Amino acid sequence: MTGEDPGPLVRLFGLTGGRARPLGETFDLVAIVTTVSMTFEPADLIPEYLAVLSACRRPTPVADVAAQLKLPLNITRVILGDLRREGLVTIDRPQPAAQAIDERIYREVLHGLRGL
Amino acid sequence: MDYAASEPGVTEVTPAMAIKILIAGGFGVGKTTMVGTISEIRPLHTEELLSERGIGVDDTSGVESKITTTVALDFGRITIREGLWLYLFGTPGQNRFWFMWDELAVGALGAVVLADTRRLQECFPAVDYFEQRGLPFVVAVNCFDGARRHDPVKVRRALGLDGVAPIVLCDVRDRESVKEVLTTLVTYAVGGAFKAPTMSEGDTIRADASSVPGSPG
Repeated sequence: MTGEDPGPLVRLFGLTGGRARPLGETFDLVAIVTTVSMTFEPADLIPEYLAVLSACRRPTPVADVAAQLKLPLNITRVILGDLRREGLVTIDRPQPAAQAIDERIYREVLHGLRGL
Repeated sequence: MDYAASEPGVTEVTPAMAIKILIAGGFGVGKTTMVGTISEIRPLHTEELLSERGIGVDDTSGVESKITTTVALDFGRITIREGLWLYLFGTPGQNRFWFMWDELAVGALGAVVLADTRRLQECFPAVDYFEQRGLPFVVAVNCFDGARRHDPVKVRRALGLDGVAPIVLCDVRDRESVKEVLTTLVTYAVGGAFKAPTMSEGDTIRADASSVPGSPG
């Protein structure tokens, strides 16, 4: 994983070792990723992995992580799967919206939309 | 304010939640414009690298396609508050990306089907898809400049809708109009489980006017 950067495309493949699917349980596009608080920053992680850890100090949905890092979703997911396996992030499984929205959230959303 | 997830001693924190809303419709009907009109950020753009597994959805019988291609995924975000967001996902237009719709639709609150009355048939697949999945949707008729304003009842009939899904006339470039579409969807999608505050606040949802029962069948 070290050495000269051979270019973005090769690098992307290198990032995931050719893997197209993340380890472990699959997760939704809007699953919330949260970096587990660390006392030290793992020094042996490559920049993309560190960037994810940095971005997810605030709970961040998967799709937003991909967009912030300007990485394809598949690649982002593989990275997230790796980080989850290492215990560095948690990925919450979202409930279906219809079940997760209670009256308070419903009102918040309507109020928020109208206030835009 | 930092999210207090790492402070278990503090009063209970509502878990962060992202609500998915799909924006569907035919090519060029204004999906991306709609997302851009309401999103607080320029629509984020990410690409999904497709392996041959995804490509196999295409009916290219006999052709073992190994091409890796990308499908762009545009989405916008509306922050209601820290830890509560709406994400608007424009659905990929081409049929061969149906499998991505499946992923987008899982757990979604609902969908907006954007319709152009000059090419109404282009939104049929989306309507069929959401009906089959049982995902709540509203039909938003984009009234382009020069396009005749259509009678929602006629649109409903043309789409063969059952008279339940709201139909809203809108202009995807107009913020207020898009807000109205989304509030209509949110209200419809929670199925009246909660008393809608619209009445008491004097708001009207224009879609109500068109929610008269359509012709049976």
